[in-house]
Amino acid sequence: MSTQSLDVLSRARSLILAWALLTAFSPAPLGGPQAGVAPPQAASARTANGTGEAQPPKAKDSLRFAVIGDSGTGGRAQYEVGARMTGALDVFPYEFVLMLGDNIYGSERPQDFVVKFEKPYQGILARKIPFYASLGNHDDPNQRYYEPFNMSGKRFYAFEKKGVKFFALDSNYMDKDQQDWLARELSASRERWKIAFFHHPLYSSGERHGSEVDLRAIVEPLFVKHRVSAVFAGHEHFYERLKPQNGIYYFTSGAAAKLRAGNIRVGPLTEKGFDTDFSFMLIEIDGERMHFQSLSRRGRLVDSGTIAPEAVNTTSQPGGPRP
Amino acid sequence: MRKSAWVVTLALVSAVAIDGTIAAQQTQGVNPTGAAVLAFKERVAEYVKVHKKADAQVPSLTETKDPAKISQREKALGDAIRQLRAGARPGDVFLEEVRPVLVKVIRDDFAQRSATDRKALIQELPPSVKLVVNMTYPTSLPLATVPAKLLRELPDLPPELEYRIVGRHLLLRDVKGNIVVDFVRDLVPTIPS
Repeated sequence: MSTQSLDVLSRARSLILAWALLTAFSPAPLGGPQAGVAPPQAASARTANGTGEAQPPKAKDSLRFAVIGDSGTGGRAQYEVGARMTGALDVFPYEFVLMLGDNIYGSERPQDFVVKFEKPYQGILARKIPFYASLGNHDDPNQRYYEPFNMSGKRFYAFEKKGVKFFALDSNYMDKDQQDWLARELSASRERWKIAFFHHPLYSSGERHGSEVDLRAIVEPLFVKHRVSAVFAGHEHFYERLKPQNGIYYFTSGAAAKLRAGNIRVGPLTEKGFDTDFSFMLIEIDGERMHFQSLSRRGRLVDSGTIAPEAVNTTSQPGGPRP
Repeated sequence: MRKSAWVVTLALVSAVAIDGTIAAQQTQGVNPTGAAVLAFKERVAEYVKVHKKADAQVPSLTETKDPAKISQREKALGDAIRQLRAGARPGDVFLEEVRPVLVKVIRDDFAQRSATDRKALIQELPPSVKLVVNMTYPTSLPLATVPAKLLRELPDLPPELEYRIVGRHLLLRDVKGNIVVDFVRDLVPTIPS
């Protein structure tokens, strides 16, 4: 055998070894079995195998919105998620976007609002699609005066769309005023669907932060009493769908620009987790049901499913799992 | 004349004696914690007057598409407050007598938390910075969540002010002016090793 042939064989052997090592130690494919991520269990929800894309709406005149959390870095990932969200509009024309806090990280100079909000979402803003923000721990509360965030100058507020009531809370500072306001607003709400959104997750399988038990002790009894259907939070830099807690569906979607890879720790709370790429959510409510989908920065469908308010409220688990 | 002088003297002595009794009763009946909180709230109310005066000196803030207007307004309000309370010192609002109350509230709150909860809470806090009354709260620092249960125990504040924790220090922050109104050092317990 010539020296040249030996050299070729040697290179081939090196390549095969490198491939084997990479295969053995690289993370599992998106949506596939991952450390710390529980398999899907809800009958009405399905977990994609990571090869799907944004799904079109199920109904014609349904309410549709997108959800992003922890978005305001101005970094590459935010722009990539923003581009993906803009592209999703062609398949799933959503009417507005919920922001789950940490809307502007770091300095909040005028140019930061451009780099960390207006530019990444320019494709969405150009179509006159409004954003509704809640405040995170990295946000100056004066963001409430920034018109594109639609907070009407308030740290906490509510609005209604097609028979669905939304409650934006300031989970950084749950003082008595806000508690009283929330109790009043929830009590007065006659909508079938009540959705709360704010920064800190009441339930979480995240290693870094975990469940916000303090906040939970105060707001969860109100949510249960007034039959809130679903809650969206950020703060944890990953996507998680939790098992319904006391009849309420909880979603964490805090990876629109920041990612804490491998941070989900499997536990009794986790229904589905995704912590290997950036993500955002698309939601549709058609009166009877809420359809959700979570998409990665690459446009892959990592989770989807359907919930109904009655179903949620009849599967109440008072003694359900708690961390 | 002599008789009337006696009557006046007797009346004066009686009045002084009654005053003394009332004063003694008042002192005896006062809850020191309540008195400290009341004194603190009075200082807060005085600060709110300053805030409102400053607020009236700068253009009002309404929703705007221009974030420059928001930051300009925040700065203008902060500057106006600084000017109105140029001589402010630590302890002007967080009075000496209210500090033990705050210490107790915060220590009790932390004592009731699990070790995991305490650790998670402390890890969330921004690192300590050099604090000066009337300084701008550094925009590079997050506004760490003030635990909801703790907020319920701390004396109520008007909407102009909020409690924040930086490092181990408790701050009073002017919400719209983004300035440190007062602070108390080393109130937050450390994580037990």
